[in-house]
Amino acid sequence: MTTAGFRRGLVAALPFLVSNGAAGLVMGLTYKGLGLAAPQAVLFSLLVYSATAQAITLSMWAHPLPIFTMVVACIGTNSRYLLMGAHLRQLFGGLAPRKILLSLFLLADASWLMTSSDADRNGPDAGYLLGSSIPMAIGWVGGTALAYAVPVATNGSLKLAAALLPTMFIATLLPSQWKNARSPWPWLTSAVAALLVARFVDPGWSMLIGGGCGTLVSMLERKDG
Amino acid sequence: MDDLQVLGVICILGITCYAMRAGGYVLAASMRDDGIAARFLRLAPGNLFIAFIVGGCLSGGLAGLVGTMVALVTMAITAREWAALGAGFGAALAASMIGL
Repeated sequence: MTTAGFRRGLVAALPFLVSNGAAGLVMGLTYKGLGLAAPQAVLFSLLVYSATAQAITLSMWAHPLPIFTMVVACIGTNSRYLLMGAHLRQLFGGLAPRKILLSLFLLADASWLMTSSDADRNGPDAGYLLGSSIPMAIGWVGGTALAYAVPVATNGSLKLAAALLPTMFIATLLPSQWKNARSPWPWLTSAVAALLVARFVDPGWSMLIGGGCGTLVSMLERKDG
Repeated sequence: MDDLQVLGVICILGITCYAMRAGGYVLAASMRDDGIAARFLRLAPGNLFIAFIVGGCLSGGLAGLVGTMVALVTMAITAREWAALGAGFGAALAASMIGL
């Protein structure tokens, strides 16, 4: 875990202040509409810190609160974190768990994807994970708070930035990943499987199942790993 | 709705989400470095990137697809993230304005 890695991650993830801020703002406005007080909404975004888990539990908001169903929904939508966490153990296995467990509190899809890509280029550095997680968390929690602090309405470009920036950012990581690929087949498999799962099963599972199918093809085509 | 109940639910959901985040890291300690699971995890990132992007493009519609493709091509040519994101967002905004 180095200071240089932390700084590199922090700077690289700065655009997420905007995209997560916009998405957090939309989430905050929804909480506001639901009647949640500002401290409750901010605590929700801080402790749960998962757009999918928050959106799905939001859709279940009723009186009385279906707590068990909400917990099961959180486990289902966030099961991909088990895979990400296991992969991070491969990268940072030599590090004392207490040093990484705090960073895992802020683990997000994008910070994991960025950390994996950076590990390929510069070697594993847990500082990068923490550094890249911070702008994302500030954006998300800050955006939620902003919905209560100022009278704002979501407009077209704000919604577009919130929806597209994470995808575009991960797309910018692809050229460096392509250098490690031996053939296009695993990626094609991932894309087709993700497409089918998103279309016919549930968009929430497309990353995990699509990526899993592509990885199986990668395993079949090379023995070294 | 009772504030204390809402607070309790937020805490329970927060603990659940953290357990999912830390669970994989803790459980992977018992994994062999040369095992199938370890190989799977080493090869997973690039494939998960693609699946993530496909999901994002689907939810972002045609404007999202245009923006993502422009960002990808710009990154491949310039190797500059700020240029790729700027071009991608500009293209997506233009595409949505013309009704794509």
